[in-house]
Amino acid sequence: MTSRGMSIIVARCLSSFERLFRLDRGLPRSNVRLVVDGLAGALAIGIVAATPVAAQEKPSTLGLGIFTFTSGPAAAYGMPGKNAADLMIDEINAKGGIGGVPVSATYVDEAQGAQGVIAEYRRLAGDAKNQVMIAALSSANCLALAPLAEQLEVPTVGWNCDTHQLLMDGKSKYVFRPNGNTVPEFIAYAIYLLDRKPDVKTVAIINPDYAFGHDAAKIFTAALKALKPDVEIVAELYPKLGSPNYQTEISRLSTARPDVVFSNLWGADLENFVRQAAPRGIFTSSQVILALGETVLQRVPLPDGVIVGVLGDGWWMSPDAKAKPETVKFAEAYKARFGEYPVFPSIKMANALIYVKAAYDTAMQKNGGKWPTRAELADAMKGSKVETLTGTAQTRADNDGLVDQIVGVTIKTPAQQLPMIGDMVRYKGDSLMPQAGQDPLAWIATLKPEFAKSLPKPGSYK
Amino acid sequence: MSNAIIPLLLDSLASAALIFFAAVGLTLVFSVLRVLNVAHGSLYSIGGYVAASICLFIASRQLNPYLSFLALLFSAVGVAAIFGPLIERGLVRWTYGKSEAVQILITFGLFLILEDLQRVIFGVQSFYEDAPMRLLGTTSIGGVVYLNYQILLIAMALLVVVGLRLLINHTRLGRLITAVVADREMAQSIGIDTNRIFILAFSLGVFLAALGGALATPTSGIAPGLGADTMVLAFAVAAIGGLGRIEGAALASLIVGLARVLAIYLAPSLDAVAPYAAMLVVLLIRPYGLFGSVTARRI
Repeated sequence: MTSRGMSIIVARCLSSFERLFRLDRGLPRSNVRLVVDGLAGALAIGIVAATPVAAQEKPSTLGLGIFTFTSGPAAAYGMPGKNAADLMIDEINAKGGIGGVPVSATYVDEAQGAQGVIAEYRRLAGDAKNQVMIAALSSANCLALAPLAEQLEVPTVGWNCDTHQLLMDGKSKYVFRPNGNTVPEFIAYAIYLLDRKPDVKTVAIINPDYAFGHDAAKIFTAALKALKPDVEIVAELYPKLGSPNYQTEISRLSTARPDVVFSNLWGADLENFVRQAAPRGIFTSSQVILALGETVLQRVPLPDGVIVGVLGDGWWMSPDAKAKPETVKFAEAYKARFGEYPVFPSIKMANALIYVKAAYDTAMQKNGGKWPTRAELADAMKGSKVETLTGTAQTRADNDGLVDQIVGVTIKTPAQQLPMIGDMVRYKGDSLMPQAGQDPLAWIATLKPEFAKSLPKPGSYK
Repeated sequence: MSNAIIPLLLDSLASAALIFFAAVGLTLVFSVLRVLNVAHGSLYSIGGYVAASICLFIASRQLNPYLSFLALLFSAVGVAAIFGPLIERGLVRWTYGKSEAVQILITFGLFLILEDLQRVIFGVQSFYEDAPMRLLGTTSIGGVVYLNYQILLIAMALLVVVGLRLLINHTRLGRLITAVVADREMAQSIGIDTNRIFILAFSLGVFLAALGGALATPTSGIAPGLGADTMVLAFAVAAIGGLGRIEGAALASLIVGLARVLAIYLAPSLDAVAPYAAMLVVLLIRPYGLFGSVTARRI
């Protein structure tokens, strides 16, 4: 404890002073926040530098700070991630841990808001045993934590950071995303839609009212316009995140009579929307795309023919996943423990832990079996190519990930009680990504119909 | 746009019905007890949770699904019977005659306790039970498919407005409440048991809040945080209508519903601010709300 423990407490208190004692009185708020954050950050850097990690001694446990939503409407998405982390950590520990060190996780609930998440990150980073952060689910929190990760020099793995803005500057040393981002994720839907329904004329969009929803709409629309310029967007709705009632939005969608309804609603919002829209005929009057539809397949009766995907390759029933014994074992263990099969947020979390473990293995291989420092660990993540439960996660020079994109439609099969994904396509991760440093929207605008023709077709992934 | 007029009006009415249920109990309690109950939103969501839980139980035991309609009503009665007297006698009565700040702080504390209590009892996952909605089917109006349950909600809201007016104007209890609202001390001096009136009025407010939550459940999800959202909207409606005025709450619900629906149809980016913009406009013109006044106390 002594001076280091005191420093942690002081750092944490400082970050709360702004609210507690109204330090902002008479000063521009942003300046005060900078000062307070700077002081807390400086203290935390001091703490980090003074930790025994630099000595490369094996700790008694390897702590992971894992950030996800464990309460509120977003918990419908966040809890499957936490469940997967619990299961994976148990499996890792059953096999002797990482480099012989048992893993323990500290979960941080992102529902507390960005200020709380930042304070928790600082607190965890100040503890030497927490060498890696797996953060976060919310893109907004990812963007808030990224500069902190660089400042404190803590390897941070974005297990569900989808926003393409996260690594755009290409200068990140400690933030990694072993997933795709909003650019390939939503271009994939535009291409799949045009392959499946080439005569589409009108599209309506209903996305959550924050960066993820607006970014997705922008990218999906830009891709559609580039590949089929005569497509018209007839309605764009952005209900508040966590909204329980979509009846008016559903009426608005009905009056617009679009050929296609696109949505990247998620969590409880998606469940509520599907339950309310299905009886009102939205799924029969329009081709519906639910970008995160796989997450509700086991909970909500989705009709056949809805275009769904997994924002990456993380479907536990994909041909690649079924061919891997460890994935089948993971899915069955998950089902036995939590009563449901894993949804793609579970797979993303499990893959993030596999990614972290692989980085430790690589780092220790490089330094002759010694316990790596945070810097050595980050170095091992850079440019890595890791076999995951569902494919491969390749890390580019800008720390962004290349992961394949699976898209398909809901079907019912006699072999399965639940709706499955059929007529699938698997787009290669790099085929839908702009080059590092390239402006994504400018790149999308250059796409031509020939580009889509060169890609695999629906039904080709079996 | 012309083909959207009928859906727009229907959506406004359906939206107003849900908003009215959230606000009318708050305004009733304020008119009688002169207490702004910040915990009102929590009682709304507790009504929703209890109704959804009972409906899920009915579905899991494969009982007659029409029992779920009774479950909606009786869950509200149960919540009111338990929480009404408990909160009024245990907490709210200590705030009578105290400043508004004290009343708000105490009921806000209660709100925080009830919100955490819901998390402990019902968990953090979203609840949803749509049996009543499915049982009633759908109707196509103006080319748009509506749930018959939405139309039932509009009828229920009208029924509550008329029922409350009848209760207040044509029953003994209503006259006693009117007397307490007009002059509490005078009512006491002529032998009216004001404590009993307060318990009944507060419990009626809790019943209306819980009924709102229960009736919303078949078409909406119930999740942590709903209480806070409901509370803010209920305050806006009460402020527009004039605190303590039942017809004011009904008209204000219509205004807020129409503002929100118009925003979704015409300017979706203004969806979240539309109810509060409507409140701002009304309060600029009539600072005490549409039916409110500086001195006269009526219900």
